[in-house]
Order: sequence, then structure tokens, then C-alpha cells
Amino acid sequence: MGFLKRGQDTRQGARSVQISRWRRFVMFWANNAQQAIGSLGELARTPWASLMTIAVLGLSLTLPSTLYVVVKNSQAVSAEWDTAAEISLFLRKDLQTQELQGFRERVRLLEQVESITFVDRDSALREFRESSGFGSAIDYLQTNPLPDVLIVVPVPEHRSADRARQLLEQLEKEREVTSATLDLQWLERLQALVRVIENSFAGLGLLLCIAVVLIVGNTIRLAILNRRDEIMIMKLVGATDGYIQRPFLYTGFWYGVIGGVIAWIATTLLIWWISASVVRLTALYDSKFRLQGLDFNDMMVVWGIAIGLGLLGSWIAVRRHVAAIEPR
Amino acid sequence: MIRFEQVSKTYPGGFQALKKVSFALESGELAFLTGHSGAGKSTLLRLVALMERPSVGRVLINGHDLNKITRKQIPYLRRDIGMIFQDHRLLMDKTVFDNVALPLYIEGYTQAEAKKRVQAALDKVGLAGHERKFPIMLSGGEQQRVGIARAIVNKPPLLLADEPTGNLDPKLSLEIMSLFESFHQVGVSVLIATHDLALVARMRHRNLVLKDGHMIDDGLASGGYDPLTEEDY
Repeated sequence: MGFLKRGQDTRQGARSVQISRWRRFVMFWANNAQQAIGSLGELARTPWASLMTIAVLGLSLTLPSTLYVVVKNSQAVSAEWDTAAEISLFLRKDLQTQELQGFRERVRLLEQVESITFVDRDSALREFRESSGFGSAIDYLQTNPLPDVLIVVPVPEHRSADRARQLLEQLEKEREVTSATLDLQWLERLQALVRVIENSFAGLGLLLCIAVVLIVGNTIRLAILNRRDEIMIMKLVGATDGYIQRPFLYTGFWYGVIGGVIAWIATTLLIWWISASVVRLTALYDSKFRLQGLDFNDMMVVWGIAIGLGLLGSWIAVRRHVAAIEPR
Repeated sequence: MIRFEQVSKTYPGGFQALKKVSFALESGELAFLTGHSGAGKSTLLRLVALMERPSVGRVLINGHDLNKITRKQIPYLRRDIGMIFQDHRLLMDKTVFDNVALPLYIEGYTQAEAKKRVQAALDKVGLAGHERKFPIMLSGGEQQRVGIARAIVNKPPLLLADEPTGNLDPKLSLEIMSLFESFHQVGVSVLIATHDLALVARMRHRNLVLKDGHMIDDGLASGGYDPLTEEDY
């Protein structure tokens, strides 16, 4: 590798350092492992300063990952409500029993329909009288004002807002139907709300990730400037930029590794903290909802992101600052 | 080993440190580089180690034009040049052993593999047994010798020394100089910048003289064994 030794007569002293390619390769990885452990030791030597940066990284990631859990759960909830989509068909009052029978059969056989429930006008009135509290008022009515109602439950593939609406429009065109309703508006509103929350959380998460990169980058920058003299000396005796950069990159890596674990713990605690109140809330809605925490995959993703951000921050710092330090 | 061809160096701001300097140092040669402070001695050494680039002209080392060496190649060039500084440039938080082993670590040696070479280098400078001390526990002369051990540990064919005896008393200076002489005797090219003219006179080697950036004597015309005296500057 040497410039001066290349092609030089060996009799002129200065025995050249011969290292085979394979050895270089092995030594490269051995060096990496050594530097990785070395930079971990460096963290241990300044535990408070390191811990603060790591805590910032971990806690900054806690917010996006908690928000992610919230979004994930709200998606689960809205998915649950989504499947409750039912279409109510209000039928003409002048239909013959036979026509009614035929229509029910036709709807039942549609491929988009899973099941139908027929509520005839008399039983509807009875139910209304019992549950509405207008019991005696209804007794004054001469005729039953209610139509027959056919409640259609679509097959699961047709329960989304769009698909259910298509089915609704198709059924509405039927001769026997006066009007049809699908209680979709609240569902759409909920979905829109969930989307707003998702997007704002994603934006917030992105901002926090950028903040993490900047914080790690700044910490590494200070570490580099602190060791300015050492870096200069290393450059003087022939260290490549890569060799000098590696310990700092490993520092960023360790920040991510430990920061990720802190994010797990903090997220788990936070979810545990809010889960009690969420369960109480959902109990009021008659739902047996259980808050889902971070599963294994999520944890790996959080860890990966933490390590990625740590590396990115340190990479930005070393790229700028290690090259800028030139021996004087 | 070293060849300067019409080299000028102008620093940003217009200060011209070297003016059309030309000389050649043969392989295995030992030479002194003298001159008043600010004459350009350090600049000349820095050009050889690629800590600076010439403004005009070419510097060649072992036939390689340094102008053609890219930034990425510089570390590999420096591995073949042992450099010694007046202020030693040691890592104060590392042991003597780790300081000397640094060039070997950079080349990919492990601590165990470096051990033999580090001990040989420390032996050579007379510091055997001081491996575990920290530089701060050593005297100035000893620290300088740690710096020398670091410079020779990977057996470079060229040694550059910038005022290596600047802070040492005459007896220690002579010891250091005879160390350089011993490297020269095994074929290493050595270039020493110094202003210790008495010492240069005693050593009787080639002497290159710089004055205000001009090389007023390349040590060949005067026979090499008759350094200029103080009045000549």
C-alpha cells in the first residue's frame, strides 16, 4: 500500500510492512468489533452526558411510537364499527305479500348480501311503542304509519363505506323500495377524523425524528471537536477518515440501540398508564375493547428506526467535521 | 527520495513562505534543514507530508508527484513517513505503549501483534520498561523519544523531524541526534529541521539552508560538512 516502499530496493533498510489482502479483510472486521466495543466503553466513561443524549433519543421516539399505537388502535376500532354497516330498505306500503316474498328472495340471493332481516310494519310499531316512550300517543293513530323494513347486511367485502354505498344505490333503484338508508355519514366522519389524526401524528413523528437526528448529530459533533487534537495526531500517522469516523458512527449506533430500548420501556409504561382509562371509556360504549400495545414487529421497527436515526445523526456529524480537521 | 522542483508556497493572505525552492535528497541520506524562524523550514516539511500543497512547482517523493496524490491517498503516504514534532504530539490519555502502537493499530494490527514491534521501537530509543506509563509521567526528553519510537515503529523509509531538540538541553539533544544518525545508518532517509547550529556543526552532515523562503544553500556546493555560521544569515 505504501507509496515510498513500492518498488523500493529492500536493501535500503526500512523493511516494508507486508499484510495480505485476506488479513486486511479479517483485520478490518476485527478492528470494527474493537472500535464498536471501544466506543461503548467511551459511553460508559461519560455516563451522564451519554445518558442524557440517549434519553432524549429514547423519549423523543416514545411520542411517535405511542401515537402509532393510538392510531393502530383507532384503526382497529373503526374497522370494528365499519363491519357494523347495515342497509335499511324502506318498502312501499302497497306491496302484495307475494311481491314482498319475491323481493326478499331476490335481495337475499344477491352475491353482495350476506343476510337479510325482515321487520314487518306491525312488529316495528310494537317495538316502537315499547321502547320509545310514546306508547299511549301511538295508540291514538288510526293507521300504522311505519313501512315494512328490510335490513340488509352486506358480505364482508362490501362493508366498506364505498362498497356499501354502491350496494345501497343498486337496491334503491328497485321498484319495491321507496327509500334506503345507510348510516354512513358518521362512519365517514370517523374515518376522516382518524385520517386527520394519523396525518398530524405522522407529521409530528417526522419532526421528532428530525429533532433526534439533529440532537445526535450535535452531540457527536461536540465529541469530535473534543477530540480534535487526537484526530489530528491520528491523521498525521496515516489514519484514513474512515478509521477515524468509525468510533463516532458506533457511538451513534449505540445511542440508537439503547435509545430504542428506552423508547420501548417508556411506550409500554405510557400505554399501561392510559389503558385503564381507555378501558373505562370503551366500557361506556358497551365494547369489549382491549388496548393493543407494541407487538414484536413494532418493537423491532422502533428499534430499527432508533438505530437508523442514531447512525444518520452521527454520519452527518462525522462527514462534516472529521474531514474538516486537518493536521497543522 | 525527496525532490523539490521550483516549489513556491503562498499562504492565503499573501505571505510567501517558500520561493522557487529546488533540491533533491537521495535515498538513505541524512540532511539538516536550517534557517531563522519563519524562513520556511516547517512549510517545507509540511509540503513533504502533504499537510500543505505547493502553490507552484512539484514535490516528488520516491518518484511520486505529490500533486497527483488525491486526498484519499494521503493517509497511505503518511504511513510511510515518520514524523517527529517539537511538541511531541502524543495522546496524553493513552499509555506510552498505545501511543507508539497507534500507527500499527491504524494499519490493522491487534495489541498482541503490535507488542513486539512496539517493544523493539522503545528499546531503540532507550525507553524499554516504560510501556505502561502515561506521557505526563515522563520528562520532556523522554516524551520526545516516545514520539520518535512512534515515528519508527512501522519502519518508514523516510523520517521528518521538525525542531526535535527544540526544548531539550544540549546533552539530550545530542542523544536524540545520534538516534537519528543510527536510523540513517540502517538506510532510512532523514530530514531534520532545526536551528541548533552548534549541533549541526558537530554532526557533520549535509545542511540545507533557507532564508526568507529561498534556499540559499543546498548543502552540496559547500561540501556538506561545513554548515553556515550565524553571521551568514
